[in-house]
Amino acid sequence: MDTQSYFPVPPGVGMEENFLSLDDILLSHERLPIRTECTFPQLGFLEKSIPESPGTKMELPLWLTKGLYERKRKVVSVELPKVYKEGWRTVFNADPNVVDLHKMGPYYYGLGSQMLHFDSPENPEIAQTLLQTFIARFRRTMDSSQNAYNEDTSAFVERLDCLEKALFRSGQSGLNGFQSWEKGQASQLTASSLVLNYRKRKITDVQP
Amino acid sequence: MDASEVEFLAEKEMVKIIPNFSLDKVFLIGGDLGPFNPGLPIDVPVWLALNLKQRQKCRIIPPEWMDVEKLEEMRDLERKEDMFTPVPSPYYMELTKLLLNHASDNIPKADEIRTLVKDIWDTRIAKLRLSADSFISQQEAYAKLDNLTLMEINTIRAFLLDTLNCMYKLRSNLQ
Repeated sequence: MDTQSYFPVPPGVGMEENFLSLDDILLSHERLPIRTECTFPQLGFLEKSIPESPGTKMELPLWLTKGLYERKRKVVSVELPKVYKEGWRTVFNADPNVVDLHKMGPYYYGLGSQMLHFDSPENPEIAQTLLQTFIARFRRTMDSSQNAYNEDTSAFVERLDCLEKALFRSGQSGLNGFQSWEKGQASQLTASSLVLNYRKRKITDVQP
Repeated sequence: MDASEVEFLAEKEMVKIIPNFSLDKVFLIGGDLGPFNPGLPIDVPVWLALNLKQRQKCRIIPPEWMDVEKLEEMRDLERKEDMFTPVPSPYYMELTKLLLNHASDNIPKADEIRTLVKDIWDTRIAKLRLSADSFISQQEAYAKLDNLTLMEINTIRAFLLDTLNCMYKLRSNLQ
């Protein structure tokens, strides 16, 4: 049986974030370039670059930016990271398959969806680019996840974004399940990984 | 769903056997299994046929579609058509594996049959991937796939559903 022993909370794709998902928590640590619109008096001890005058550029993590952002009071204004700007968007529209999405920020789709909270005028184009990139890269992910049985796929997987890695893994598990059934290994009883981890088995049991 | 669960469902299919023992009619919850007379062919479910074969109490007769010429025709037809052709049996993959593993002595040309069925399977899976790819890249709302068997659906189900979920949420960003 291929089922895991526990089910981790999946990341919330799109503009929602799952509170308990580890992937979303790691995503919210990504830093965004922002411009301050008002002063932060006497907070200079928190970080050396905290400004005393408005209009300074600095970088804050996503969770802080989301908390501080307000349309009416203008505490901070967010600039787009360069991956979502016009230049990179044309690259993605031309050929998404050659881009190393892991290097662009391992949470390209997640962060892009969160950026839509910040009311930038380019929001529709960003959302459109995200969708088109995903669709274009889907073919490659499907082909390699369904055909690479027992091979070393790390060269391909390291260019994938986290969302695509999860899809790759589910494709691989479908393939592995079928292949192991065909070989007749599906009906063999093996010790569960949890029990092996307890390491209470005698050495003679574990070694072949 | 697991591949083993699909195999379990496949074991309900009927197959012809020739028993070498005699037994009166058996009344089971799923239905009656008629009186067994030695030397007379009778239809039984696959699970019973395999059990009797393993105890050496019967001889299994291969189903009509498990024949080299018929499978070759089916394979060539599958390669020519773009859509999925009607399949010999809704559980052809599982029946092939079960019958060829346990009763290969009763089935002539077992190796060729195995190769042919694998060829048919590979062609159908390739067509399935092609249609999944065009489904996603054109963002269609629904697709109609006739003549797909449960095993083929099972291998691609997890991946396709996850992809469609992601695509749906990315699309909801546009609003």
